[in-house]
Amino acid sequence: MRILIVEDEPKTAEYLRQGLSEQGYAVSVAGDGIDGQHLALHHDFDVIILDVMLPGLDGFALLKSLRALKSTPVLMLTARDSMEDRVRGLQDGADDYLVKPFSFMELLARVQALNRRGRIQEASLLRVGDLQVDLIARRVVRQGQRIDLTAKEFSLLMVLARRQGDILSKTAIAELVWDMNFDSNTNVVEVAIKRLRAKIDTPFERNLLHTIRGMGYVLEDRGSQA
Amino acid sequence: MCWKIVDPKPESAARSIAARLALLFGLVAFVSLSIVGISLQWVLRHELARHQAEQIQGRTEDMRYMLTHGRPDGLATRALAKIEALSPADERNRYWMWSPDPAFIYGQDLQQALDATRGKTGMVDLYVRGRHMKLQAVDLPAQGGRPELRLIVGVDVAPFAQTLRSFRWALMVVTLLGALAMAALGYWVARLGLLPVRRMSEEAHRIAPGNRLQRLDVSALPHELSDLGGSLNAALERLDSAYHQLAAFNDNVAHELRTPLANLIGQTQVALSRERDGVHLREVLQSNLEELERLRSIVADMLFLARAEQGARAQDLVQVSLAAEVAKSLEFMDLLLEEACMQVRVQGDAQAPVQTALFRRALINLLHNAIQHSAAGSQIMVQIETVSQHASVAIVNPGPVIPSEHLPRLFDRFYRIDESRANSGESHGLGLAIVKAVALMHEGQVFASSSQGQTRVGFQVKLNTAVQPLR
Repeated sequence: MRILIVEDEPKTAEYLRQGLSEQGYAVSVAGDGIDGQHLALHHDFDVIILDVMLPGLDGFALLKSLRALKSTPVLMLTARDSMEDRVRGLQDGADDYLVKPFSFMELLARVQALNRRGRIQEASLLRVGDLQVDLIARRVVRQGQRIDLTAKEFSLLMVLARRQGDILSKTAIAELVWDMNFDSNTNVVEVAIKRLRAKIDTPFERNLLHTIRGMGYVLEDRGSQA
Repeated sequence: MCWKIVDPKPESAARSIAARLALLFGLVAFVSLSIVGISLQWVLRHELARHQAEQIQGRTEDMRYMLTHGRPDGLATRALAKIEALSPADERNRYWMWSPDPAFIYGQDLQQALDATRGKTGMVDLYVRGRHMKLQAVDLPAQGGRPELRLIVGVDVAPFAQTLRSFRWALMVVTLLGALAMAALGYWVARLGLLPVRRMSEEAHRIAPGNRLQRLDVSALPHELSDLGGSLNAALERLDSAYHQLAAFNDNVAHELRTPLANLIGQTQVALSRERDGVHLREVLQSNLEELERLRSIVADMLFLARAEQGARAQDLVQVSLAAEVAKSLEFMDLLLEEACMQVRVQGDAQAPVQTALFRRALINLLHNAIQHSAAGSQIMVQIETVSQHASVAIVNPGPVIPSEHLPRLFDRFYRIDESRANSGESHGLGLAIVKAVALMHEGQVFASSSQGQTRVGFQVKLNTAVQPLR
């Protein structure tokens, strides 16, 4: 999976490169609009992360020249938090945008969503370690033991299981489970995770639902080390 | 020195009220004096004309009496002698006489005088020997031994014209001098009258950012200016209040940011001051991340509020049932309500165009606020109503009565009734400010009331906003 980052702020570019590389992406970085345009036009990327304010050629101009030839998904980064920028970005063919300061988890989630777009091959039975989630029968079984979940608990587990191994931020969970796509400043997600954990983890010796402090939650089988 | 203070030119007529008034005074004086002068001249001209006529009349009567009542013998000789006696040497009064009897014929240029007066009874003009004269002729029919006569009396108009000319000159000089004097006096009067303005300006000069509590002393001003002074003071008051709010707001922002920043710096310094193992460092980074997330969320909310205040309006409006939106938000808050053992009742419904994400955000902030400020086990009510052009959503929760002086400020950024609740972790004091911003973005208002152990807080959205098609 190849990602191009066009960002002139070296610190930002560097942590994005490192973070995305560690998530298994092949990352290229361009420090200005001209290099970015060259790379974007002459190589095939799965996702392009594009800063709006760039030396040489700004993000909008780059996007325009790219869209004339290619439909590579583009995630725009903007520090100017005004409606006009957003609308302009989306009308010119950006697929998504993030306003600085954004969290890396948020960025990762958006990149994954752009990548997943159009090619979801959904299994009806998800497995995380010894936990089985049957999406059609809405049944959850762990170690042969049936676990009763409320509707919301099931949605939450489904969201986590579909992206097992991915860290999901609280905002992302609120959006995917409750359709609340904003930072609510409440502890609803913590409470919900606590409840779910009490049902799927507490009775068993190995934990599957992990908290990544300051970032979010991940559902994964980490083997026997936990 | 590359700059200099430019003094505004007080004498420039366009800028100075005093100079303008002086000019106007002068103009008014000029116009009124001119009218007076023209009228006086007209009267004088009339009086002079009447005087001329009277003179001619008098002389004519004199002669007519003699010619009518005098003894016939030697009448011609006596008449001519009288005429000679009456005619001054400078020829300002002249007599002409004509009769078929040559003894009665008198006067040089007689033919001209006769021609001029032929067939006319009133005054006629005659220019003779470089003089302008007024003439009047009288015909005396034959009587006794005397033949018929035509008597013509003339007066030189030059002295009258001279009087009129002098008078006109005098009037012009008086008019001009009067206007100038009036302008000069007017300037002085205006300066005197404008003294309070100057005083006011001097006082205004003394108001500086440093002593922003100072106001213009209205009591010393004449009542025409005290209104203006009052308005200026009111404007200063409003500016001061905005300035104060801004300063307080900056304080608040700095304060809100200071705590997480202090934590970040302190924790990082402590962590770096010794050799630490990976686990410890990881813990520090995680803690830092939490603080940073808090900073990010404050900044994001501040930007959101700033945008709303700069007039951003809700986009992508969709006509929805507000009760359904409330239900969705309650579903999200369900776990928190359950933990607090609270029940929620929803009353009423309305269809309104809203940006759902914003609307839910406002609802959730209000619900969260209600949960935080009610005792466990209480009942919360959500009331949806239509009030003329707006749909309103109000959350009613039992709780301690909020003193009325706090109510209007509940929606201020970082406003907390109880200062000790600051930095309580979860909320950063922007929740209700965001509700207000959302109301604003939907062309609505916020409201709050509190009495008898019930607090009612809510917001409105406008009903008839054009719904934009979803992109």
